[in-house]
Amino acid sequence: MGRKGRLLAAVAGLALFVSVAATAAFGAHQADPGITKTSIHIGGTFPLTGVASAYKTIPAAESAYFAYVNAHGGVNGRMIDFTVVDDAYNPAQTVSAVQQLVEQSKVFALVGDLGTAPGLATWGYTNQHKVPQVFLATGDSYWGFCAHKACQGSPKPYTIGWQPDYPSEGRLYGKYIAQNMPNAKIGIIFQNDAFGKNYITGLKQGLGSKSNLIVDQEGFNATDTTVTQQILALKAKGADTLFIVATPGQAIASLVTATKIGWSPTTFLANVSNIRPFLLAAAKAGANLDGLISSAYLESPILDANRPGMVLGKQIIDTYAPALSSDWAAGDSNLVYGLGVAWTFAYALQNAGKNPTRASLETALHSMNTTKNPFVYPGIAIQTSATDNFPLEQLILTKWSGGPDGAAHPFGQLLKSGR
Amino acid sequence: MRARVPAVASAAAVAVVLALLPFGMSGYHQALGAKVATFFIAILGLDILTGYTGQISIGHGAFMAIGGYTTAVLSRDHHTNLVLTMLVAFAVCFVCGLLVGLPALRLSGVYLALATFALAVSVPQIPLKFSTYLGGSGGVQSSRTVSHLWLYGVSWAAAAILFVLAWLILRGRTGRAFRAIRDSEVAAVSSGVKLPVYKTLAFGISAAFAGVAGSLYVLGTNGFAQPSEFGIILSLQILIGAAVAGLGSLWGVLVGAVFVGLLPEISSSVPLIGSAHGQDVVFGLLVILVMVVLPTGVAGLFQRLRRLRAPT
Repeated sequence: MGRKGRLLAAVAGLALFVSVAATAAFGAHQADPGITKTSIHIGGTFPLTGVASAYKTIPAAESAYFAYVNAHGGVNGRMIDFTVVDDAYNPAQTVSAVQQLVEQSKVFALVGDLGTAPGLATWGYTNQHKVPQVFLATGDSYWGFCAHKACQGSPKPYTIGWQPDYPSEGRLYGKYIAQNMPNAKIGIIFQNDAFGKNYITGLKQGLGSKSNLIVDQEGFNATDTTVTQQILALKAKGADTLFIVATPGQAIASLVTATKIGWSPTTFLANVSNIRPFLLAAAKAGANLDGLISSAYLESPILDANRPGMVLGKQIIDTYAPALSSDWAAGDSNLVYGLGVAWTFAYALQNAGKNPTRASLETALHSMNTTKNPFVYPGIAIQTSATDNFPLEQLILTKWSGGPDGAAHPFGQLLKSGR
Repeated sequence: MRARVPAVASAAAVAVVLALLPFGMSGYHQALGAKVATFFIAILGLDILTGYTGQISIGHGAFMAIGGYTTAVLSRDHHTNLVLTMLVAFAVCFVCGLLVGLPALRLSGVYLALATFALAVSVPQIPLKFSTYLGGSGGVQSSRTVSHLWLYGVSWAAAAILFVLAWLILRGRTGRAFRAIRDSEVAAVSSGVKLPVYKTLAFGISAAFAGVAGSLYVLGTNGFAQPSEFGIILSLQILIGAAVAGLGSLWGVLVGAVFVGLLPEISSSVPLIGSAHGQDVVFGLLVILVMVVLPTGVAGLFQRLRRLRAPT
């Protein structure tokens, strides 16, 4: 080839390279659905109706936070458009809702999907379609362990949880008992499914050599309305320490029943039920709450009302979701949970860069490191890495005092769930 | 009331439309189409039991659960071909239906309804009890998931096959026996119809259909089977679909399936009341409306239209 030919070839090659690169770069901006220069469309599935509809305040709080963010310029100039879809806690409906969000509404990411079964029904689909499924509202540990490990056939790198997981929480209670109550006789009342059993596994790990302190375990089904038999059995077996692994319905029943049969064990409560309005209801129905030990990872609208996080939270709820103001005043931690999750998403989105893609969001989600979330308990760090897929791993123990009008007061140090 | 013999031409026309439809639709709508087919099969099964044999059941969600779990478990543990699992679900649920039909011989009317209701509530809880094999609340995930188009194709193919099967059963001796039992058990017995045999058989066939519907339902849920997918509302949806369809018309079943399969989706986009709770209100109101306007269901409507067209 002559000099002219070589030059021509070089220019042609360069032109080709530039056009391909430009298309790739341009295409990368256009490739991900749900995002434009001025907005980002996300979606989430929640039980707005049905048995679990007590949790519907969570997406309401999340929407309120995003409205606040949008009123302050959005994230990198983009307004967050959050579509909340009801799945009535039925996995079949969740699948339909997620397919609709991903394929019809073409959301950029799913945020805050609530429930373990709904999550398990959809995580195969979301990971297959490479849709970020961010901050699932459930404490099961699947979402933490399966980012790189094959679960149900394949790893699920696009799915991540948020709150401290249940087995870790159980471990912390176990360690506490082993250190402070070495002669306890532990009776456990638990929901007879993976949720309950994982807690017990964690508890036993925390107790370590002292797991023989457990004298009895009584299970109940999620749909049971009374737990009298189980409480009576635990008392009969001589337990002086009660561990309640239940959602609010059966937790209230357990507490009330125990008091009514004249039994006052040292009681530990899984933090899914450590929600003030429900505990007040238990007290009203006759439960003696003083001394009840549980844990928290969020600030309390009541106890921390003067802290900047709760002042901001109250402002946001009063401005963008005034219907929830009375809930906030009663100390509904579901609202704080929602604000906390939404803050974390905005934080990750900010770190995903000026022109976020699903891939850059995933990178940001796996390199989080902040203690600035105003809604979580002071000092709790939100941290993830390539090997750590659990954003929150710290808890503070709480003890109820103040009787039927009291609250769960934090005590001791922030504890890390040892892994 | 005789079974409406579907004119081959109209059946072929519907088949062609259904076959071509998915290629103009998005994946999400294909999934909706598959859902209609799933309900079609379940409602068809219930129609055989209730419409043609006069035995009420509000427990067909239980048979769907059995069929669905059969598919999920076989796929998870043995990587069985999914269509094969549907055949197994058919067989397993046929047997389960016979087993339910036997004690049901002693019951009728509201007592049978209650017994089947108990079934609908209790059967989906079984995986929570035997959680080691049946996944408990963590559910059972099949080893393979299917595309929307696959699901549409297979569910409508199954619907077509089972439609023909139902037609063959109902036009023959068995169908006549069923209708005789429904119209008058005493007359049926005196005509030589063995009540226990045919009543139990109706339950078996009906359950088998529901089992296949259950397999498709689980495949439509990304192959994930879990107890909360089979709540009592599912059994009620099938019953509503059968009531809208009207008793004794196979074509009405298609309308019933479209009603139950698509209405929740459509009612959620109704302005003003199309919110989470509004959706349920719209659905409920429409059911009441249909029951008031068409008490004999779509089948009754077809009959009236036919009578109008053929002057006597």
